[in-house]
Amino acid sequence: MKMQRALTRWLLALGALHGTVVCAGFFAPYDPAVQDRKYPYLPPMGVHLVDTQGHLHARPFVYQPKLRLGLFDQYEEDITDPRPVKFLPSGDYYRLLGLLSCRRHLFGAKNARIYLLGTDAYGRDQLSRLLFGGQVSLVAGLLGAGITLFIGLCIGAVAGYFGGWRDTLLMRLAELFMALPWLYLLFAIRAFLPLAVSPLKAFFLIIVVIGTVGWARPARLVRGVVLSAKERDFVRAARGFGATNGYLLRRHILPETSSVLLTQAAILIPQYVLAEMTLSFLGLGVPEPVPSWGNLLSSLQQYSVLISHWWMYLPAVAIVPFFLGYLGLASSLHERGAAYKIESRILGNLT
Amino acid sequence: MRYLLRRLGHALLLLAGVSVLTFLFTALAPGTYFDEMRMNPQIAPETIAALRAQYGLDKPLPLRYASWLSSLVHGEMGFSFAYNSPVAPLLLVRARNTLLLTITSTLLAWAIALPLGAWSAERMGRLPDRLLSWGTAMLLVIPDLALALGLLVLAVRSGWFPTGGMASVGFETLSPFNKLRDVALHMILPVTALVLSTLPLLFRHVRAAIADILDAPFLLAALGHGIPKRTLLYRYALPAAANPLISLFGFSIAMLLSGSLLIEVVMSWPGLGPLLLEAILARDLYVVIGGILFSTFFLVGGNLFADLLLYWADPRIRTESNAQ
Amino acid sequence: MKVEATIGKNMQPLLRVENLVKRYAKRSLAGTPEEFLALDGVSFTVFPGTTLAVVGESGSGKSTLAACLACLESPTAGSIWFEGREIAKLEERASRQIRPQIQLIFQDPASSLNPRWSVMEVLAEPLILQRKFTREEIDRRISSLLERVGLSPDIVERSPTELSGGQRQRLAIARALALEPKLLILDEALSALDCSVQAQIANLLVELQGSLGMTYLFITHDLAMAAHLADEIAVMDRGRIVEQGQAQKILKQPEQETTRQLLAAVPRLTLAPPLLEQ
Repeated sequence: MKMQRALTRWLLALGALHGTVVCAGFFAPYDPAVQDRKYPYLPPMGVHLVDTQGHLHARPFVYQPKLRLGLFDQYEEDITDPRPVKFLPSGDYYRLLGLLSCRRHLFGAKNARIYLLGTDAYGRDQLSRLLFGGQVSLVAGLLGAGITLFIGLCIGAVAGYFGGWRDTLLMRLAELFMALPWLYLLFAIRAFLPLAVSPLKAFFLIIVVIGTVGWARPARLVRGVVLSAKERDFVRAARGFGATNGYLLRRHILPETSSVLLTQAAILIPQYVLAEMTLSFLGLGVPEPVPSWGNLLSSLQQYSVLISHWWMYLPAVAIVPFFLGYLGLASSLHERGAAYKIESRILGNLT
Repeated sequence: MRYLLRRLGHALLLLAGVSVLTFLFTALAPGTYFDEMRMNPQIAPETIAALRAQYGLDKPLPLRYASWLSSLVHGEMGFSFAYNSPVAPLLLVRARNTLLLTITSTLLAWAIALPLGAWSAERMGRLPDRLLSWGTAMLLVIPDLALALGLLVLAVRSGWFPTGGMASVGFETLSPFNKLRDVALHMILPVTALVLSTLPLLFRHVRAAIADILDAPFLLAALGHGIPKRTLLYRYALPAAANPLISLFGFSIAMLLSGSLLIEVVMSWPGLGPLLLEAILARDLYVVIGGILFSTFFLVGGNLFADLLLYWADPRIRTESNAQ
Repeated sequence: MKVEATIGKNMQPLLRVENLVKRYAKRSLAGTPEEFLALDGVSFTVFPGTTLAVVGESGSGKSTLAACLACLESPTAGSIWFEGREIAKLEERASRQIRPQIQLIFQDPASSLNPRWSVMEVLAEPLILQRKFTREEIDRRISSLLERVGLSPDIVERSPTELSGGQRQRLAIARALALEPKLLILDEALSALDCSVQAQIANLLVELQGSLGMTYLFITHDLAMAAHLADEIAVMDRGRIVEQGQAQKILKQPEQETTRQLLAAVPRLTLAPPLLEQ
């Protein structure tokens, strides 16, 4: 019971995080592609409640940035120009869940732009790019994991259930794939495919590539489950009632794989999100102007950015809660799976 | 002995299979090194065709594989278009740099994880263990990329460490001792990044393996015989937990060449990673194949090493395989 | 004590096994393939309405015999006649037709019932697989099956994991009876139960045999249990039947060494001589 509660808590947490990303249009104040050439590389704005004269304002506000005297790339707050923060304002258009056209955002600023995480070289709001980039990276991870698990399930089921030469062949193939250095292979495959493609094509390309490289371990795990499930007495009993192979797989054997698949999903998704990030960071993934967590960080490859614009690093920090959530999910799933096994062991050992 | 031969044969077969697979992957891909040249109107198509013929790119696949194999036997592993030299010497130099990094960090990580993991397993559930588990969990969730970049930002803003490359400008002029010191200084950042990224998982596995063993009845019996706890932990429990730990160690060895790609690229360490990336972007075919094969060699070799170590260390495996 | 059933000796045998051989090959990529001979020429006959007990140590081939008879595995050589029809070398489709008539009850009821299913689903499975019953018919049959084995009808919503060992085995028997089989093979079906529960289930089996005219093949390592339930006993050792005959005769005059050892293994309560004298 305690395990179930822990699991639920992690699921809720992850759900909330993903929900924020799914409704990126609402939570982000601006469209991620909109450029603000007036304020390139603006540091994060501070939100204040008390102004410099010590007055408490009813509404939080930000100061309009202005260039420091004599410099062209450093800013300071213009304390004579406070702009209040607006809640639920009407702003740029976006499509909620890809369907509804909406204009309402969670927050904004009156007659001004509020940049909570600063801007990049083109003056684009980093917070908005972070949220929308999350959509790209997370979907890449989820779809990639889906592909891998699907392939792994099919191959593992065939190898485990039918055995014989199919099993030997498939498992040798799996060994081959596991012997290859995953990241290297990923890079090589991606790079040897056409490099200059549209963002959408690139997106699906890397999902397919990531998804098809890592099937070996899930396949072996599924095979193990299928092998042991095949010998269970209730499967033999069902055969005794005249069940066909398809029925046995569908109703008895494949449901046994659910726990393994779920745990693998919780492990693979963050791995694949990371793979997408790495590819995009190095220029092999989702290209500009579409934001992804990877290419948000790619400007950090320049020394100048590293030195002067530390806030470009912030997206890396924002990812941590997601990975933490997945780690928690994987642990509690693993514990739950192990406990279930113990339970059936105790029940089964009656002799 | 038979076991050794069998595993060796298996490993060689695997390597051969990988080489074929890699060759297929990369050779079937659209685009070659000369595509860039093709875009340049100043270079005549005949020149390009001649270059292609010279490198044998127009011959059928099996022939190219065969000639690549023969070049492998001669110790060359094909030819790099970009560097205009045989691939093997390139790989070896870069691999040496990578290994410098990874061997140091692997040794460091294990040196920390083993005693820490054992210590933590002994106090499982109590405060020090819970703190350590949470701390390593935090580290685990931070992606390598974030770690490497974060360290870089730190280094840049504090100015404490050199932030790139393996040697400073004017390296040649330094005395041997200073040369060593210079390289070591440059190594601090990448090694830290590597250790921080591999330590958490290692720690968790060590802790889990030892915790499993600590539950075993034979330890309880030994305790009943009056054997002190420290001896129990390090001389009884640790060897018994050797089985999963050796597999883990084999995994560490397997990752020696391929685990540091990202960190090398981010920190501009001249290792195998950046070379491979460069070659991939430039479509330098044989460097890519050679690089992948090289790291696969380590991967397979690492697993083989672990298997052999296991065979030597665990009497159960010996009897099982001898019975076959 | 089981009453000797009247067996009409000129009745057709329900099951006739002749020289059954089953070899398992362990193939590996390197090294010599190993062979394991599980059944080495087994022959016997079972008449309808009777119980044959096959007794032997673990590893004597009893479970392999059960699997071959239930058409779950194919024997390497030999023949099996069921109701006069040769069933040893049937192909998959024909096997599927025959299987419902020969049902297997397993030793461990925990593993023979899918723990993720409810009792209702477990009982309905054989009926659904036959595809000739309506939903109402299935519900009706389920209630009558539960009644027949002595289980209360309100357990249908529960999971098998919530039932006791004895209840689970009753459920397994009920499920086996769903398709009205002619032969019931009990593979150590009582061995996993507590002593008192064993007696209960044994009585249930006897009662079912009387009312339904079931034929049992009772596989066990417990010679005493076999004597209690069976008309005939066959003793197996290393894939062969070493002794066969009427239950009482085997018990009183064992001929083979194996039989004697099995007999000796039965725990007996003996009173100490001083107590007897009083």
